[in-house]
Amino acid sequence: MWDFLGDQYEQILFSSWQHFSLVVQCLVLATVIAVLLAALVYRNSALTSIANSVSAIGLTIPSFAFIGLLIAPLGFGVLPAVIVVAFFATLPILRNAVVGLSGISPSIVESARGIGMSRFRTLLQVELPMAWPIILTGVRVSAQMVMGVAAVAAYSLGPGLGGFIFSGLSRLGGANSLESVLTGVIGVVVLAVILDLLLVGLGRLTTPRGIRV
Amino acid sequence: MSPRGLSTEAGIAGGDSAVEAPGNPTAPSVPTSRVRARWNSWKGLVYQLAGILLAFLALMFWLQTADLSPIELTTLAPAALWVYTVEHIQLTLLAAAIVLVIAIPLGIALTRRPLRFLTAPVLVIANFGQAAPAIGVVVLLAFWVGFGFWAATLSLVLYAMLPVLRNTMVGLQQVDAHLVEAGRGMGMSSAAVLFRVELPLAVPVMLSGVRTALVLLVGTAALATFVNGGGLGILITTGVNLSLTSVLVTGALLVALLALLIDWLGRVVEHVARPKGL
Amino acid sequence: MSELNATNRADSTDEPITPTGITGASILLDGVTKRFPGQTRPAVDGLTMEIPAGKIVMFVGPSGCGKTTTLKMINRLIEPTEGRIVVDGDDVTDMNGDTLRRGIGYVIQAGGLFPHMTVATNIGIVPKMLGWDKARIAARVDELLELVSLDPALYRDRYPKELSGGQQQRVGVARALAADPPVLLMDEPFGAVDPITRLRLQDELLNIQEELQKTIVCVTHDFDEAVKLGDWIAIFNEGAQLEQYDTPERILGHPANEFVENFIGSGAGLKQLTLTRVADVGLSDAIVGVAGERAADVLARVTEAGHGHAVVVDARHRPVQWLSRRQLGRLDVISDGADPKLPVVGIHATLNDALDTMLVSSAGAALVTGRRDTFKGVIDVKTVMDAITRSQGAAVLESDQAPVGLNTGVFQAQASAEADPSDTAGHGADAQAVR
Repeated sequence: MWDFLGDQYEQILFSSWQHFSLVVQCLVLATVIAVLLAALVYRNSALTSIANSVSAIGLTIPSFAFIGLLIAPLGFGVLPAVIVVAFFATLPILRNAVVGLSGISPSIVESARGIGMSRFRTLLQVELPMAWPIILTGVRVSAQMVMGVAAVAAYSLGPGLGGFIFSGLSRLGGANSLESVLTGVIGVVVLAVILDLLLVGLGRLTTPRGIRV
Repeated sequence: MSPRGLSTEAGIAGGDSAVEAPGNPTAPSVPTSRVRARWNSWKGLVYQLAGILLAFLALMFWLQTADLSPIELTTLAPAALWVYTVEHIQLTLLAAAIVLVIAIPLGIALTRRPLRFLTAPVLVIANFGQAAPAIGVVVLLAFWVGFGFWAATLSLVLYAMLPVLRNTMVGLQQVDAHLVEAGRGMGMSSAAVLFRVELPLAVPVMLSGVRTALVLLVGTAALATFVNGGGLGILITTGVNLSLTSVLVTGALLVALLALLIDWLGRVVEHVARPKGL
Repeated sequence: MSELNATNRADSTDEPITPTGITGASILLDGVTKRFPGQTRPAVDGLTMEIPAGKIVMFVGPSGCGKTTTLKMINRLIEPTEGRIVVDGDDVTDMNGDTLRRGIGYVIQAGGLFPHMTVATNIGIVPKMLGWDKARIAARVDELLELVSLDPALYRDRYPKELSGGQQQRVGVARALAADPPVLLMDEPFGAVDPITRLRLQDELLNIQEELQKTIVCVTHDFDEAVKLGDWIAIFNEGAQLEQYDTPERILGHPANEFVENFIGSGAGLKQLTLTRVADVGLSDAIVGVAGERAADVLARVTEAGHGHAVVVDARHRPVQWLSRRQLGRLDVISDGADPKLPVVGIHATLNDALDTMLVSSAGAALVTGRRDTFKGVIDVKTVMDAITRSQGAAVLESDQAPVGLNTGVFQAQASAEADPSDTAGHGADAQAVR
C-alpha cells in the first residue's frame, strides 16, 4: 500500500485536486442556480410545491443511471461529469433555500418594506442573510453527496479520484488493483471531511452573529 | 451513490406536506369537501405514478419501433429485461430486509439511556462513512468476500444502513420528552412507552428513512454489475462497452423508473401508515 | 397502596360520581434527599413534609428550587437518594415504580396527551393497563369527559390536535383521574394556556375537587394560582428548603421571613382578594326584565327601586343584557339580543376575578351567575372593599392545624409535632404564635 502511495503520490495529489475542484466548482454553480430558483418560486405556493417535488423526485434518480443517460448524447469526458455533479448538488440546496426563504416571518419582511426597502433589496439584505444558515446546511449535505457522485461520474472518464476505483476494477487481480481502489475510496472520504470542515468554517465567517446558533 | 442527507430525508418527508394537505377531520363532513380533501392528499402520488407509467410506456413503444441491430434485439428482448429487473429487485429487497432487521433494533438500542452517549459519535462516523463512494465500497467488498451476488448484497446492506439507522434514532429523539414522561408518570413501563408512544410517533420519520434506503438501494444495485452481482446495471455497462446507445439508455431509464416506482410505493405506505392525529 | 385503592374505588365508579367525602390519601415525605450525579448540592435536602388527605397542596418557589423534583419523587419518576415516601400509610419507597404510578394521577403542562391516540384512548390507557374490560373503560371515559365539561359524543373520538389548549388540559386531567387514583400530582398544569382559559380551568379544578376530594399536589410558579387553589401552600427555596408551609391566609397575613415576603411580592392585600369567593360576600339584588317586555314598565320598576340598571334574562334565567336607565328610556320594547361584553362572573370566582371584571364594565359592577349560568345577583366595588377590610382582620383568627413540614431530616410523630410547636421549626411556631 505504502509503495503504491509512494509511487503514485503525484498522480494521487493531482486527481484529488481535480476531484475537489470539480466538486467545489459544481457546488458554487449549484448554489447560485438553487438560490436563484428559490428566489423565483418561494413566494408562490404552487411553484414552491413544484420545486419541492422536483428536488424530491430528482434525488431518487440514481446517479449511475443519470451518467448513462448523459453519455448517450454527450459522449465521454468532463461535460457529463460536471452536469451530473451540478444537477445533484443543486437539489438539496434548492430544497433548503426554499424552506429557508419561506420560513422567514412575514412581519420581518413587512417591517423591511415598511422602512422603504425595495422588494429586491429586502431579499438581498434581509431574507437571504436570514436564510443563509439553512441554505448552507443544504450546501453541506450536497457536498457530502456529490463527493460520491463525482467518483461515479468518473465512469464517463471524467476527472478525479473515481479513476482509481475504475482502473483498479478494470485491472482486477492485477498488481496494485486493491491499492488503487482503496486509494480512491479513502481519498474521497478524506476530501469529504476536509470540505465539510471548510464549509463549517465558511458558515462561521458568513453567518451574522445575531442568528448564529 | 444515490443522493441522500439528513436534511434531505427530513425534507422529503416535510416536502410532502406542501403537496398533500392532510385531511382535516374537523372540517364539516360535507361529502364533496371530504372527497376533495382526500384527492388533494393523494394528488401528488397519483401524478407521480402516472408519470412513471407514461415514461415506461414511451420507453416500450420506442423499443418496439426503433430500428435495432440483432445484438440490441437480443439484449433488449422482453424476457431478458424481465430477468435483469427481477435480479435487481431481489438485490434491493434482500438488502433492505437485512438492513431493517439490523438497523431498527440498533437505532432503538442507541437511543436507550445506557447507550445514549453513543448516539452522536455513531451519527458522525456514519455520516462520513456515507461519503465513501458506493462504487468503491462495492468493489472493495468484492475483493474481500469474492465476486457475485453476496458481495453485492453485503455492500448494499452497508450502504443503506445509515438512512434507516439515522432516521430511527432521529425519529425516536424527536418524540416530545414530555410525552415520555407523561407515559412513565401514569405507570407505563419503559417498554410500554417505547412500543405505544415512542415508536408510533417515530413511524413517519422512520418510514421516510426506509424509503430513502430503498431508493438508495435501487440506485446502488445498478453498480452490482461491476462485481457480477446481476441487475439492470449490466445494460448500462454493456451499452457503454459496446457503444450500444439504445441498450445504455434503456438500462439507465429502467433503473431510474424502478427507483421512482419504489419511491412511490414508499410514499404510499407512509401516507397510509402515518398515525392519525399527527 | 394505590393499585389496590385504585381498583377498589374503581369498582364503584359505574354510578355517576357523587360527593363521597374524602377519597384522597395522605402522603408523607420522610427525610427525603435527592442528589443528582455531577452536582455538588442536593436538589432536595432532607425534606420532611406531610400532605394531608383530601387537600390541595401547592408547591411554589423560584425556578430550580427543587419543587418539581420533590413532586416527581412522590410518584418516583425521580428516585429519592435517601428517605422514605409513604402514601396512605404504606411505605412505597421500594415498591414497583410502574405499579405505584398507575395508582397516582399525573398531569403535566399542556396535558401531555399522546397525539396519535384519540381522546378516549388517551383517557383509557391506565384503566386498560389495570385490565378493565372495554365496556367499563368506555363508560368511564364518558363519565370523565362529563366531569371535565366536555361533551363525550363530540370529543370522544377526536385527536388532541383537534382540541384547543384548554380542552387538551381538561382531557389531561380526565386521563389522570381515569382509574380514580386517590392522589393527583400536577406539574405546572395550567402553564401553557392563556390567562382567561387558565382562570376557567382553575375554577373547574376547584369544582371537581369539591366533588372528589382527592389529595392534589400541584407545582406552580404563579403565586396567585397557589393562593387561589391551595388549601396549603409550601414555599420552597433552593435545595427544596421549606420556607413556609401554611394556609394562604396566614402566608399572606404573616409571611415567615423576608424570603417569603419577597416571594409574595407587593400587593399582599390585593392578593387576599383571591382568598374570598363571590359566594362568600353579600350580593345586591337587581331589577330583572325579560325580552319582549315594554321598556317603560321596566324603567318604572328600576326608578321605584332607586337602581341605575336593569338586568335582562333569557328563558333559562341567564343574564343577556344589562341596560341603564338612559338605555331603557330610549327603547320601546326590550329586544332579545345578547350583549357579548356583559360583565359576568361565576359565583365561585374570587373577588380578584370579580374586581377585574367590574373594572372593565361601565357600570362599575358585575353580574354574578350560579349553576347553569343562571343570574344570582350583582356585585359592586363597595362590596369588595368591605370584604378586604374584614378579611384582613379575620385571617389571623383562623385556627387550622398546620401540617408538618421541615428540613431537619428527622421526622417526629405527627402527634408530638402538633403538641410541641417548637418542633415545627419556624413555620409551625409562627402559626402558633399568632393564635
